[in-house]
Amino acid sequence: MKDDQLWDFERPVYDIPFNGIFVTNEGNFMYGNASLTYYDPETREVYDDVFFNTNAIPLGDVAHSMTIRDSLGYVVVNNSGRIYIFNTRTFEMKGKITGLTSPRYIHFISETKAYVTDLYARSIAVVNPATMEVTGAIPVSNSNSNFYQHSTEQMLQYDRFVYTNCWSYDNQVLVIDAETDRVVDSIEVLKQPNSMVLDRHQTLWVLCDGGVEGSPYGTEPPGLLKIGAGSTEAEIVHRFSSGEMPTELKINGGGDTLYFINGDVYRYAVNGATDPEVLIESPYEGTMVTGFYGLDVDPVSSEVYVADAIDFVQRGMVYRFTSEGVPVDTFRTGIAPGGFCFKPAVP
Amino acid sequence: MGRVVWIMAVAGLSVFPLYSQGIQDSVYAIEEVAITVEQIFVKEQAGMKQTNVDSMVLHNKVSLSLSDLLSENTSVFIKNHGRGALATASFRGTSASHTQVSWNGININSPMAGMVDFSLIPVYIIDELNLKHGSASLADRSGGIGGSININNRAEWNEKSSVGYLQGIGSYSTFDEFLQVGVGNSKIRSKTRLYHNYSKNDYTFINHGIAIIDPVSGDITNPIDTNDHAAYLRYGLLQEIYYRPGSNHVVSLKYWGQFADRTIPKPTSYEGPDNSNLNNQVDRDHRLVADWKYYGDFGKVMVRSGYAGKRLDYNQMNRVPGLGLIPAIWSESRQQSLYNTLSYSGGTKGDLSWEGTIDLNYHQVGSADSVSSAGYTGHRNELSTMFAVRKSFNDRVNLNLMLRQEWVDGKRVPFIPYFGMDVRLIQGVDLVVKGNIARNYHLPTLNDLYWQPGGNPGLLPEEGFTMEGGVAYQQELSGHLLKTELSLYRSHIENWIIWIPSYRGFWEPRNIRRVLSKGVECNIELQGYFSEFNYRLSATYGYTSAVNEGDPLVWSDESYGKQLVYIPLHSGNMMAHLGWGNLFFTYQYSAYSERCTTSSNDVTRRDRLYPYFMNDISAGSSFRLKRLDLSLEVKVNNLFNEPYHTILYRPMPGRNWQLVFKIQI
Repeated sequence: MKDDQLWDFERPVYDIPFNGIFVTNEGNFMYGNASLTYYDPETREVYDDVFFNTNAIPLGDVAHSMTIRDSLGYVVVNNSGRIYIFNTRTFEMKGKITGLTSPRYIHFISETKAYVTDLYARSIAVVNPATMEVTGAIPVSNSNSNFYQHSTEQMLQYDRFVYTNCWSYDNQVLVIDAETDRVVDSIEVLKQPNSMVLDRHQTLWVLCDGGVEGSPYGTEPPGLLKIGAGSTEAEIVHRFSSGEMPTELKINGGGDTLYFINGDVYRYAVNGATDPEVLIESPYEGTMVTGFYGLDVDPVSSEVYVADAIDFVQRGMVYRFTSEGVPVDTFRTGIAPGGFCFKPAVP
Repeated sequence: MGRVVWIMAVAGLSVFPLYSQGIQDSVYAIEEVAITVEQIFVKEQAGMKQTNVDSMVLHNKVSLSLSDLLSENTSVFIKNHGRGALATASFRGTSASHTQVSWNGININSPMAGMVDFSLIPVYIIDELNLKHGSASLADRSGGIGGSININNRAEWNEKSSVGYLQGIGSYSTFDEFLQVGVGNSKIRSKTRLYHNYSKNDYTFINHGIAIIDPVSGDITNPIDTNDHAAYLRYGLLQEIYYRPGSNHVVSLKYWGQFADRTIPKPTSYEGPDNSNLNNQVDRDHRLVADWKYYGDFGKVMVRSGYAGKRLDYNQMNRVPGLGLIPAIWSESRQQSLYNTLSYSGGTKGDLSWEGTIDLNYHQVGSADSVSSAGYTGHRNELSTMFAVRKSFNDRVNLNLMLRQEWVDGKRVPFIPYFGMDVRLIQGVDLVVKGNIARNYHLPTLNDLYWQPGGNPGLLPEEGFTMEGGVAYQQELSGHLLKTELSLYRSHIENWIIWIPSYRGFWEPRNIRRVLSKGVECNIELQGYFSEFNYRLSATYGYTSAVNEGDPLVWSDESYGKQLVYIPLHSGNMMAHLGWGNLFFTYQYSAYSERCTTSSNDVTRRDRLYPYFMNDISAGSSFRLKRLDLSLEVKVNNLFNEPYHTILYRPMPGRNWQLVFKIQI
């Protein structure tokens, strides 16, 4: 068999204007087997590997996140140092942003400016989505650190300020002024903030995993924190037990209910009426380390989607539930499904 | 002791003098022979499947790495991460740490990772290469659930003092230099081998991992890229000293030191800045072994002590604006092992023989990453005792019972028994039916237990239970020798350790697999001569079913009953070597069926390691010019320029050539 034969195939032509859900499948580090699954919640139809099937181009190595801006999808491919841009209706590739060291997420400031966080660059790349070029960098280096700080992860915007969490061996949320492209403040949270959301009151919620047991950076019990709109002080709302590893903080479309994974899927009302409660139980028993890997909530229907990477070396699963945790559907994805991206109907 | 059939001048120079193999020690070994008939019915080897790689093969592959030789000439599957890059073994479908590797009797598996990188072992330093398949490896040590690979050096007591030099020049700026000096007499001998290998390794390939979009038409094409950041450098020294104060004992001291520096290529799909994601690995190895062997009327006594030290440095650098190149990973590890063996064997000449061995080993390791400050230190004491008794009945039946008891850090490992049997079907004919049944254990490596983060101190040893049977036949007829062997094996491995990524963001090892490995190994070899013409034809075929039978993790887990990743169901190779006067010609063929990269064995067009067939040829001439023995050889690898992959998205080189020049005084 020859490579040429393998890569020369009849490609399907898609045109799906309806709303839907993309699942980014990370694939395995260094294997270049990341992929994109598309799911139509109305028909429950699953479109496997849509990016590759449409374009005869693999996504690359470790698809970390995806963001939609207008009709275009931006898939951040971490270990390929690039962002692929495609039409979310036809899945046709429209371009790419390259020259990124180890990109994680993209956040749009305007039609001509977006930020790309990075694990290793110790800076946030400023890119122009219109020209698909890197136009600058916001240094975030903490040169006094022993722990390669800062790596930057998710981004949320309140007013002109973009907040980004520094997860790896770190405990900061940096505040960037999107007009001057500078870090203007930093907020100390607990060790290893791994995910953040903004609620309906523009309160920033931060979930910290507390670090890894035995790590030289140290550990502490994980916690859920909140930062009031415009504030630079974090308040601990809930403290987990040592050894727990909460991840994937998400919020519903109404901005009043938080969801996260801590073995099982938990839910928590932002008004703090009750403690976090188990919404969906994990099928994994005991201390099995595999299991639920990705989580998100449909901003319109508030349905909950949970990604299960199983053993990380086979096609994973996505479980779809109602907002009350009633199972609705399951479907197979690519390898190591980690992220979701909800597509509104494309006019 | 092998029986000499005939003696000939070896094609090319005797960088690797051919030898006879047998169970007796090399002190009685005799000089160069081209065809030897190994005894295949030996009570000390009853039930054991072994492969002694032919000296002609070692000679032919002298400028390559052991990974190349194993994949091209044996049934061991090599998972190769690229030309010159990490190459690990899978013996009978098992994992890399299930193959135990020794150099002159000391184990050289990394106590940290458990495995051996065969790309770092030059064939040039090997005089004898022995493979013990499956439970046969219990004759030397435990842990070789797949088998063992044993590298030996030996004294050439009757050789004259000599100097030999070999120069290889090949595609992708590949330069190989080997120098050998042997001096001494029949009492004391010294042999020194120096080598230096470098390759820029910059072959080109069509990069399907990167898209070029035509700004006008929108058409997508793939660039032709160079295999950048893949250079390798390796140099080393092997020094052997042998002393034979009397006819019945011999002392030897051997040192092997090596330095290897490799850049590790970025993913082929990487489109980040040029000076980011730069990976480099440096391996420094020192190995020293001394032994004393005494042959008395009561039997043979052997005392051996060895040391293996390794330093492995790995770093990843990225460009940070305003700061320059900054390490994101700067990992240094140190591994030191001490080995001591005392063994006694007797009765090898009679019908009943016995053997007792005590091994006392100590490992100490440390790993630290100066960026994250993560690391660990660990150590391990191993005490292993083995007692074997072998009995032969009328040259028709051999029985072999080996019992092994080990203690690790003072804790007793479950008892490891082996029972093997040979039956000679027809008196006087080398047609032998053989079989064995055995248990085996493989301890978690120190990384498995203590790696930071992820190490799991609660891991259990992997436990193997193996049965195998086969038939071996050989026939020698006036200068021609036919050898063939067919083996079937079935091995249950419980508590199989795999590292899996966890939601915590790092990998953790778990005893979560139960693996049933079963298969067929078949090899056939025919060699001989007609006046000035000589030939050697050999082929191996392996059918390897290595199936996960562990409990599914969750209802949707589709890995149950599926072939393990990266293990081909079918693999085989052929080699034909023809010599005519001063001329010689070799044809090498290897074939592998598809390997799966998912535990569920899903195959997609996007991710395929499709079957491939490799054809290599070489031709040369050896001649004498006054006192100089000279030889010139041209090799063409991947003759048909076939595209192939051994891991996903890492294309292997197309047609490439090598010129090898040898000179010896």
